[in-house]
Amino acid sequence: MTPHTRKSLEFLLDNLVWFMLIVVLALFSALIPNYFQIGIFTNIIEASSVLGVMSIGLALVIITGHMDLSVESVAALSAMAVGILFCSAGIGLGIKLSPEWLMIPASLLVACAIGGLIGLFNGFLVVKLKMSAFIITLASFIWVRGIVLAVSGGRSAQDLDPAIRWFAIERFAGIPLSAWIAIGCFLIFSIMMAKTPFGRHLIMIGGNETAAYRAGIRVTRNLIIAFVMAGAIAGLAGWLLAVRTSGATANLGVGLLFNAFAAVVIGGVSLKGGVGALPGVYAGVLLLSSINTAINLMGLPANYTQVIHGFLVLAAVLLDTFKQRLRQRLA
Amino acid sequence: MSEKLLVLDDIRMNFGAIAALKGISFSIGKGEVVALLGDNGAGKSTLVKIISGGLRPTSGQMVFEGADYQAKTPAEAKAAGIETVYQDLSLCTNVDVVGNFFMGREITRKVAGIPFLDERAMEEITTKALTSAGTRIPSMRTKVEHLSGGQRQAIELNRFAHWGGKLLLLDEPFAALGVEQTRRGLDMIRHVANQGIGVVIITHIMQQAFQVADRIVVIRHGVVAGDVDRAKTSPDAVIEMITGQALTGAGPVGKE
Ligand SMILES: Nc1ncnc2c1ncn2[C@@H]1O[C@H](COP(=O)(O)OP(=O)(O)OP(=O)(O)O)[C@@H](O)[C@H]1O
Ligand SMILES: [Mg+2]
Repeated sequence: MTPHTRKSLEFLLDNLVWFMLIVVLALFSALIPNYFQIGIFTNIIEASSVLGVMSIGLALVIITGHMDLSVESVAALSAMAVGILFCSAGIGLGIKLSPEWLMIPASLLVACAIGGLIGLFNGFLVVKLKMSAFIITLASFIWVRGIVLAVSGGRSAQDLDPAIRWFAIERFAGIPLSAWIAIGCFLIFSIMMAKTPFGRHLIMIGGNETAAYRAGIRVTRNLIIAFVMAGAIAGLAGWLLAVRTSGATANLGVGLLFNAFAAVVIGGVSLKGGVGALPGVYAGVLLLSSINTAINLMGLPANYTQVIHGFLVLAAVLLDTFKQRLRQRLA
Repeated sequence: MSEKLLVLDDIRMNFGAIAALKGISFSIGKGEVVALLGDNGAGKSTLVKIISGGLRPTSGQMVFEGADYQAKTPAEAKAAGIETVYQDLSLCTNVDVVGNFFMGREITRKVAGIPFLDERAMEEITTKALTSAGTRIPSMRTKVEHLSGGQRQAIELNRFAHWGGKLLLLDEPFAALGVEQTRRGLDMIRHVANQGIGVVIITHIMQQAFQVADRIVVIRHGVVAGDVDRAKTSPDAVIEMITGQALTGAGPVGKE
């Protein structure tokens, strides 16, 4: 193999998800009537905001070589907290702050703080006490959802205060502000991962933890920060969820974890750690969202969506394995 | 040699029931090159890890630059001025050459108080350092997983030369290097020592030890089996210390 073909093959592997996204969009546009419209594309972007934000946090932790299964439940708890505090119907307390805009930072703070605290709990157990991230965060996935059920009593909060709801309604360039928040998060965290020492260190820890430790990188501290970030970002995803649905229900966001997982892996983040970048994850999120939109347009029953998602997760993991093999051969 | 840089006093290390080090005492002077020799499993790497903060000795004292020294982490050892090249290489193969060269010590530029990686400055320095060491690496942006064993070792070996420090620990640094790269590596060790930096080099190749070292320390079964000036010994004498048939007059022999 010449260095040139190797280079192009690697480029293809690194950006596979973008090619897939283009191909899928082209196929759907050609085959499904009414798919090719600007409205559909803004729809795809809009529908992917919650999943997108959640995937960022999950990707951060997977890149460091760990796992966070709790992001979905964390988002649900944050959404429920925002719902209970700032909704006026159902179990909402309808708290008002003046001036009104204060409710925006207050609700954001509540959502992210709840997420960050659960992230800290996960991170501490995984990193300091060296317990398995899979088990610890699986436990959190379960008990955090349990808290959501317990505090809501299975009921829901409706009618989120308009001051907060504003983000889902107001549009800029045809796209609601809530989707811009997701895009902004991708930008900020992509830059953090690619351009700052902290991001570089997370990638190095994912690649070879011992080497990073020997080089004087504060592995424990950085890993715990990554877990806290994943939690806080999941909290933000929960906030968006509450904003988009104007409230919170006890089973809000169920199934998001597997979509996020699929998006992250399809987006080129390797489960073995150290490989992957956030722009690819965004492409993965958009890809999933395009497929969902296609399913809706074709009028398939919603139950099939779950089957398709299941196979997508499977396909994503297969793809990851396949890419790892191919890379080994290239090396 | 002149001033003592690091003094090891009765260092012991047990791994469960295994006593890997049974009381190691010797010292390294400023600007001195000490070759640490010994058979497989003698305890050389264990000793290096204790000095570089990777392992904590079961007992024993270290004095570095006249003060009590005990690094709890590699970061602390580095802060004290001790650089290490480990036997099992410590590179992140998922990151490029430049990233590895600057691992943990990236050059940054602050924009609005946030540190950003200064990739161009880092690439320039890495290119300079590796070129002057005679290592040919196609691109500084290649991921290390695509490099040969020798190229990887060259990155590790040249990392410290840039960072300086006060004491350099090399655990079989040339094992994967070619003839020319090894020669340059040995030159570099002399060059580093001439600047007053102490060097400990572990090797199994007698010729290398005699070429570069001022003093030769032999470890056998976790004890110092010989500690002699290079000028006052011969390869044959050293081999006998390593294998256990110590010649009389070859230097102090471990107790036990
Ligand atoms: N983490 C560990 N746990 C248990 N035993 C260990 C550990 N590390 C080293 N040992 C034991 O300590 C002894 C010394 O090992 P060490 O790696 O220091 O040898 P060495 O002199 O560097 O050998 P080589 O020339 O093969 O590199 C060996 O018997 C080894 O099995
Ligand atoms: Mg060894």
